[in-house]
Parts: sequence; C-alpha cells; structure tokens
Amino acid sequence: MRPTSTIMALGYKTTKREQTTMRILIRLATLIGLFTWTGIAAAEQVTVRMWMHEHPPRIPIDKAIIADFEQANPDIKVRYDVISAQEYSTKLLTAFAAGSGPDLFNNTSTLVTQYFAARILAAIDYDALGYANEAALLAKFQGGFDGIRFQGKLYGVPTEVSNWTCFANNSIWREAGLDPKTDWPKTWEDLPAGAEKLTTRDQNGVPIRRGFDFAWTIPGTFWFTPNTMIHQLGARMIDEDNYKAALDAAPSRRAFQYLQDWAVKYRLGGPQYTASRTDFLAGKLAAECSFGIWGIPQMQAAGIDWSVMPAPRWADAVSDNGLDIYAYYMMVNARSAPAVQKAAWKLVRFYTDHAAELFGSAGLFVPRTEVTESAAYKENSAAPFFLAELKKAKFSPRVVGYTRVLDTILRGKDKLVQGEKIDDVLPVMNEEVNAVMNRERARAATLVK
Amino acid sequence: VTVGIARRVVSVRLHHKWWGLIFVLPVVTFFAAFNLFPTLFGLWLSFTDYDLLSPPVWVGLDNFANLLADRLFVQAFTNTLVFVLGATVPVWVLSLLAALVFDQTFRGRDILKAAFFLPVLPPVVVVAVVWRLLLHPNGVLTSLTGGWWGITEIRWLADATLAPLSMIAVQNWAIIPFFMMIWLAGLAAIPPEFREAAAIDGAGPVRTFWHIDLPQLRSTGVLVAALSSINAFQTFALQYVLPTDPGGPANSTLVLGLLVLKYGFQYFRMGDAAAISVVMFALIMAVTLVQLWFNRRA
Repeated sequence: MRPTSTIMALGYKTTKREQTTMRILIRLATLIGLFTWTGIAAAEQVTVRMWMHEHPPRIPIDKAIIADFEQANPDIKVRYDVISAQEYSTKLLTAFAAGSGPDLFNNTSTLVTQYFAARILAAIDYDALGYANEAALLAKFQGGFDGIRFQGKLYGVPTEVSNWTCFANNSIWREAGLDPKTDWPKTWEDLPAGAEKLTTRDQNGVPIRRGFDFAWTIPGTFWFTPNTMIHQLGARMIDEDNYKAALDAAPSRRAFQYLQDWAVKYRLGGPQYTASRTDFLAGKLAAECSFGIWGIPQMQAAGIDWSVMPAPRWADAVSDNGLDIYAYYMMVNARSAPAVQKAAWKLVRFYTDHAAELFGSAGLFVPRTEVTESAAYKENSAAPFFLAELKKAKFSPRVVGYTRVLDTILRGKDKLVQGEKIDDVLPVMNEEVNAVMNRERARAATLVK
Repeated sequence: VTVGIARRVVSVRLHHKWWGLIFVLPVVTFFAAFNLFPTLFGLWLSFTDYDLLSPPVWVGLDNFANLLADRLFVQAFTNTLVFVLGATVPVWVLSLLAALVFDQTFRGRDILKAAFFLPVLPPVVVVAVVWRLLLHPNGVLTSLTGGWWGITEIRWLADATLAPLSMIAVQNWAIIPFFMMIWLAGLAAIPPEFREAAAIDGAGPVRTFWHIDLPQLRSTGVLVAALSSINAFQTFALQYVLPTDPGGPANSTLVLGLLVLKYGFQYFRMGDAAAISVVMFALIMAVTLVQLWFNRRA
C-alpha cells in the first residue's frame, strides 16, 4: 500500500497537490534515512593501514589474503602498501616521525628493538588475535618468537623465520674429485683446508676461483657469523639484557681471528672479490653459507646443481647451533586507535593462518604444523634440514642502536682484513660498541616518556 | 590636475608593485617551502636530540661539542680535507693545462676536445659504476699497472691507503674537463691585442702566459677554485657507490656528506646529522669567503 493511501484511508481529505507534496516528502525522508544509515555503517568501518617490505612473490598472496579478509570482515578495510626493501626502514621511521606510521607493519628481529624502546609496538592482544593466551599461540608454532619477546611479553607474530646455511655446488666439487656428502668440512678448523682443495690460484697465489668464501659484502654476515661462532662456544658477543659487549673476550677473539686468517693468512677470500652469493649463483664458487631456504629457487633458476650442508661447528663446540636465525614479524602500532589495533590483530591472525600458502608460493618459512604438513614442504628436500637447524639455532642479540653497533663491528672487520693486529682492533671495537650501546640506551630512556 | 596625476602615478606604482609581488610569489613560496624552511629546520634540529620515533629534545650545543670527541666525525673531517686537497689543487693545474692545449689551433682539436669532455656527461653514479669495474683487484687497471712487475692483484678499493687515492683519481678524471671549459672561456675573453702586443715586445709563450694570460684569468681562477672546493666538500655519490661498502674500507673514504647520511638515516640521530651539515655549511662558506677575499685583495 502506498503511504499517501494510508493517510487517505484515515479519512483525511487531501487535494491532489497536497498528495504530491506528501509523496515527495515521504520519499525524501526515506532517502535521508537510507543515507544516514549507510553513513553510520561507513563510520563504523575501521581502516587498517598495513605496510610490508617488498618481496615480489609474496605480494599477490598478500593481496588475495587481504581481499578474503575484507570479505569476511566487511567492517574492516585494509589499506595495503608495499615499500621497497632498501627504503623500508627509513620510510617506516620517517612515517612514525611524521605521526603517520602504519597501523600494522612488518620488520626483522634485528631492527625491532628500537620500535620497542620508542613504545611503538603494541603487546599482543590475544583476544583480538583469537587465541586464549600466549600458550595457545605458541602451541601453533614450533619456535620463532624469541626475537619479538621483550620483558616477558610478545609484541608480534612471525611471518618468516629464517636461518642461513651452507650450499655446495656439486659440479665444482665433482671437478675437484670431491663429494660434498662425504667431504664437507664439519668443523671451522677443517674448513680452510677443505676450501683450499677447491680453490684455484694464479702464479702469485691470488685466487682465480674460490672454494668457499664468506659473504663479506653483506653487513649482516658480521653479525650472524661471529655471533654463531661465539654461541657455539657457549658465550655471547653482546649481553642484550645488560647491554655489555664481550668483543675482547676469548670466544670473540677466536671468531674474529678466524675471519682475519681467512682473508689475510690463508688468502681464501675477502671483501675485494665479487660477492660470494653472486659468484655462487654464477657457478664460480664451490660453497657458500649465506642463503636461506628462500635461496633455492634462485639456485634452480641459475641451473646450479646444489646440496644443502650444515654450517660448520667448532671442534670443541659446547652448543650444536648452526648459523643464527632472524625473523620477520607483523607488529601493531601502539599509537593507533584501540579499535584499529583490534582490527589489525584480527588481520594478523587471518594473515598468519595462511602460512602454508606463504611457504608454498613465496618461500617464506614459518615453523607451523600446517606448513610442515603441506605438500610444498614435503616436496622440498631441504626443508626438513632447515627446520632441524632452525630448532637448534639462536637469535643474534637485539639492541637499541643495532645499526651503529654493527657499523662499528664492520669497521673493526675492515681493519682486521687490512692486517691490523687483533690485540689492537678488538679492545677498541669493544670500547666503541659499549659506548654506542650505553649512549643509545640512555638516549632511548630519555626520549621515551 | 597635478594632484590627480600624482595620485595616478602612485596608483600605477602600487599597481605595478602588487603585480610584481603576485608574479614572484610562487617562486618565493617555493623557495621558502623547499629551501628556506628545510635550512632553518635543519639548523634548529642541530640543537636537538631526535631519533625520528620520539619528539625532538632541545640539547643546546651538545651535538656540536660531541662531534669534537666523535672518532667518526674526526675521521670523516680529515678524509674530507684530504679529498678536497686532492680534488682541487690538481684540478686547477691540470684543467688549466688542458685548456691551454685546447686553446691552440691544431688538426682534430674539436673532436679531441669533445672526446675529452665526455667524462663530464654521465652522472657521478654511472662514473662510479664504470670505475668500479675498472678498479677490480684483478681488473683492467691492475693488468695495465701491475703487469710490469708481475702483480696480478691490486686492491684499489679494498686497501685503506689506495681507496682514498682511487677516489681522488676518479674525481679528477670526471671533473677536469668541466673546469677546462671554464678556463677556455676565460682564455677566450682575453683581448687578442694583449697577446699581440706581448709578441711584438718579443715575449715567448711562457712569458705571455705568466704576464698576460694568468693575471687576466684571475677571476676565472677564483671561480674554478670556489666551484671545485664546494664540489669537493659536498662529495658523496663517489664514496657511496665506488667502494664495496660505502665509506669503506675501515672508513678510509668516509666523508662528511656520507656521515650525514649515516647519522641521519642509518643511526637515526637526526640532531647529530644536522650538526654535521651545519659544520659542512660553515666550512664551505669559510673557504668561499677566503677565496673571494683573496680575489678582491689581488
């Protein structure tokens, strides 16, 4: 029944003009009502701004996950931005500086401490994340949370847990009459002799083709490698709880002496040569230890016949850890509105529940049951090896001012490679690292209200 | 009538004044927003402790005082001075020599001049990438120089002594042709009568150069000195791209421009980065003023 007819049915006598006016008014009221309702609905919709670093194979998966999430949660809209990996840290910091930091973002375990110190990280909201408590969350994973735990609380969920390990180029080994399966050096002490067998030199002893070399051009090498060696000796290069460096202690001396001997005494490699990853992928390096499980597709694309091998241990190692691990975490901005934070944690849960897909299509490994039970994991012959190494590996220390601490270590490494004595370099390096850490920690305490 | 005319004149002047202001306003606004404001903001930042994540905290002159005790700053400062010395004095001499050569008339001069000018055309980053290949420890330059003594590896960029020298050499290679053109312009501006008079008086080429050309090239010389010094003080791209590790090895090629980047966007200590920028600005200003004063005095 038409609304005007109701009025007429009640016995009011109206002119045709009044009826038309009434009809227009009622239609207008209906329209206004509709607009108001949709307006309220729009106002209730929460927008989560999400920033991720660029990893091309992951981007289409991200987009698909977000589309599914938005469909399942019509009250949440996700604004997804991908930032180039090189500019990611700087852009993230400048965005936070301008007060326009994302609500949800990812970053590595080596860089999260400064965000924690600046109180940008929100502690996990288990209710929004959809887990009863921390134990329930941890039960889903087989590790990876040590890099995001601060003062007993968790501040993020891993989307990738990775560790470097060693790879051998089977063809070069075979050419030298060796087999990586049987001849792979199991200890750091055996590695120089093993590498020498695979090295070819010119008349002056300059390596024309290296057997094995460290990734001198990757700064992280001098964080992960010495830390790994020192962890194997049961010590720590930096005590992250007390912000105290032990770079001049016996285990650190042994690790840095080893790296110096590699370049200066044995002349098996060094920073002056082509990057080890580049040479390995070009089939010019017999062995390399700076690829993770994500490196396998690159080796396949380069046509390298590879074998995955464990990182060497010291002959007298007290810990059986391989190379240190690092992880990427999804974290929520503590400065975002509470409703946005809740929506962001909800998205984290939805996203991390696609771990098997992320591993299968983007090679990002998270130690979760559904990943280890996935077809992609079972088809990947190196995956169980990585998982086994990952379970034994440790996280490198996390400190405020990590970039400057690492830079100081890199300068010390440069001096060692120039042939300066370890007795001259390490005490200065230790003093500088302690000074940097003390200053950065004191500064963080002052700046954070 | 006179009053009326006067009013009209004033009105037209005002009118012109307003129009003038309107026309320059976009440029002034642009300059204020993208030059003046960042400069003043940078100056203000140099008196603060600012890590990008928390609001800046006023620390007065602390950043400047800390710089004096900062090993990195002292090293970068020294490296910069060495680089400035290496990238100015040889540049002045060699570019002038090149200009004198190309000022002569000889067959194929224009083609040779164009070829000589080529290194100026590509951006510094491209120059650095090309030289990185040439300076590979077992590369072309090693074969050319070390071949005589049977040396097969020279660490041009991985040795803390050789790396800064390599930077200076590449910089000289890239900018000498540019300054040669400035000297050539200066030489072309010398009235030919001066040289003719000198020739009539029996002056040889050396005396002509010493007594006629050089005094006439004084203002060109100051321009070359000022531009090359400013350019050398601001050096960044070469030290960033050429070594395996920016500023390396062992900070031997770390210059002030690179240190600003390190402090600002690697260590996230914006206050210190701004303080270094202010020091750089003061240095460049001081050197330029000395050169201008020298020119006026001469």
